[in-house]
Amino acid sequence: MTGCPFITDRRRLLMGLGLGAIGTLAPAAQAREAAQPNVDDAPHGHAETAAQSVPFHGPHQAGIVTPRPANGIVAAFDVVAASLDDVETMLRLLTERAAFLTQGGAVPERDPRLPPADSGLLGPVVAPDNQTITLALGDSFFEAQPALKPLKPARLQRMVQFPNDALEADICHGDIVLQFCANLQDSNIHALRDIVKNLSEYLVLRWVYEGSVPPVPPAPDGSTPSARNFLGFRDGSANPDANDAEMMGRVVWTAAPDEPAWAHGGSYQAVRIIRNFVERWDRTPLREQERIFGRAKNSGAPLDGGPKATERDVPDYAADPDGAKTAMNSHIRLANPRTPDADKHLILRRPFNYARGAMKNGHLDQGLLFIAWQADLQQGFIAVQNLLNGEPLEEYIKPVGGGYFFAPPGVAGPEDYLGSGLIDAARRA
Amino acid sequence: MIGTYLKTTGLALALGGWAGMAAADPSLDLVGPLADYKIYVAENTAQLVADAEAFTTAIKAGDLDKAKALFAPTRTSYEKIEPIAELFSDLDVSIDARADDFEKAEADEAFTGFHRLEYGLWEKGSTEGLAPFADRLMADIHTLNERINGLTFPPEVVVGGAAALMEEVAATKISGEEDRYSRTDLWDFDANFAGSQKIYDLLKPLIAKQDPEFVAKVDGNFAAVDAVLAKYKEGDGYVSYEKLTDADRNLLSSKVNTLAEDLSTLRGKLGLG
Repeated sequence: MTGCPFITDRRRLLMGLGLGAIGTLAPAAQAREAAQPNVDDAPHGHAETAAQSVPFHGPHQAGIVTPRPANGIVAAFDVVAASLDDVETMLRLLTERAAFLTQGGAVPERDPRLPPADSGLLGPVVAPDNQTITLALGDSFFEAQPALKPLKPARLQRMVQFPNDALEADICHGDIVLQFCANLQDSNIHALRDIVKNLSEYLVLRWVYEGSVPPVPPAPDGSTPSARNFLGFRDGSANPDANDAEMMGRVVWTAAPDEPAWAHGGSYQAVRIIRNFVERWDRTPLREQERIFGRAKNSGAPLDGGPKATERDVPDYAADPDGAKTAMNSHIRLANPRTPDADKHLILRRPFNYARGAMKNGHLDQGLLFIAWQADLQQGFIAVQNLLNGEPLEEYIKPVGGGYFFAPPGVAGPEDYLGSGLIDAARRA
Repeated sequence: MIGTYLKTTGLALALGGWAGMAAADPSLDLVGPLADYKIYVAENTAQLVADAEAFTTAIKAGDLDKAKALFAPTRTSYEKIEPIAELFSDLDVSIDARADDFEKAEADEAFTGFHRLEYGLWEKGSTEGLAPFADRLMADIHTLNERINGLTFPPEVVVGGAAALMEEVAATKISGEEDRYSRTDLWDFDANFAGSQKIYDLLKPLIAKQDPEFVAKVDGNFAAVDAVLAKYKEGDGYVSYEKLTDADRNLLSSKVNTLAEDLSTLRGKLGLG
């Protein structure tokens, strides 16, 4: 989809609004407006980023290998559906809303005696703003419908507690999750409100986590570093290249012969709400912080590199067999020992940081809204987390929620809908 | 008096310039349903006065078991007519506010009414010290009765009341916060649904012809709610809220929110702004 019709609409609209407003202003107010910005002015948006749009149709859902914008929301829902027909209606409606919300456009006008069709928080024209909405299905989604149960992806399971977890029931699991990503959090909130309003018959909200990552200006050579997490470290340095289609075909997109055919081209999503004990972390010596991660805090480079090393450099563990430079139990060495075998555990991390006010103990409730995508949940996140169990970082983090989900393949075109392959397979069975 | 009010509203809307879905003058059609609703409210207010007399008398007589047995049924008449009762916000606070509406929660001096008594009867397991609260509740209910009898029912409040009751359930009942000490929440659910459905049923003839799909959907959702609640009936009332399964709570939640969405269009459908 192009952003052109949108831009035209919006320009016309803004011009109309601007002219209307100036027409009614007193001369003094006009002068004030011309002089300098004032307290009640909205912060300046950027027409260029507002017009950025991610195609909705394609072989895979957007929001997985799509470059991560600054803001994200994960919302988990339970599904109320009495039949397969209900599930299909829900998926079609969800597809219709997601297609509009991600591509943007004018909000329909209704008789003013009725509640408006849209929350209006983005105004009468919704900008695409890099919005993606990604649907993923939980284990309980399949278990709830006898027709769907036999079609469950082979590795989909209910998340179980790891040794360092302290899972809180009300922020775990869900029949489905929707991942909203956009340049502005307001866009995500608008999209979430729209879904909640339009799908009230089928979706009951379980939990919502909002996150963001701090934007960074690109380097002079055009490259952009990884975003930092709330522990101050760059997160995602060792991610596989999301632009490498062949690599994504192995790491991210499900294709194993023992997976149901409808699931091919989908991806497993691991969501983990990982609380960070930020006060304690901030009282930890820098050298210890770096030893725990296995990376330099400022540059993100592995610890065995020289002064000019970068976060993209690959550590040479063969030359450091006893962990003199990169401790054997450091986070990056445990997670990826860089052995030939380690390749099959690769995952694509796409996390956000969250901050949710204060906890009862007077500490900040902050952490990582960890999101990882992989072709094989067992070989991916679960295997990596098992390698990490007992790591020194555990003293500073506590996974408290999340779940495992499976994102069906993309929507092929305007006639198709999210999960159509699954529903078709269920009807054939 | 109602007729005059309605005429003016209808005229204003007719001049509004919007091609409405409702008849050009909705006022005359609404007179009948509004009169019927006023009778429904009057009957429930009278019932509330009588039930509250028995409830507060039991408390003041120190009859704990009887007071506990009368708590939930006494509340139902209030919950059925909440859209009207809520018009008097001072009374709604003193009659039906919950502990978390106050900064000091249960210990707050301003915490009175049904839930203060509920707290005493269940949490403290005693009628001791409750007499002043019982007197206050009875006095408030008498005042409410007088005010309702003298009230001209604003049509948009009555029509909007069908959705307002669903908003009430969605916001504070579905979570099980309402009757947290007695766990009699399902009695309130039932009363809120009954009150909403009463309004809807009175108005249904006005919209059935022009919007059969809407009527079929709303009827279906009310029936689905009835079917869920029926599973939890016990005697004249309901089992403890704790017995409600997660699946049924989700089902109720989705139906309540969908009823709230759909019924929120009733005002517009009937030409009320």
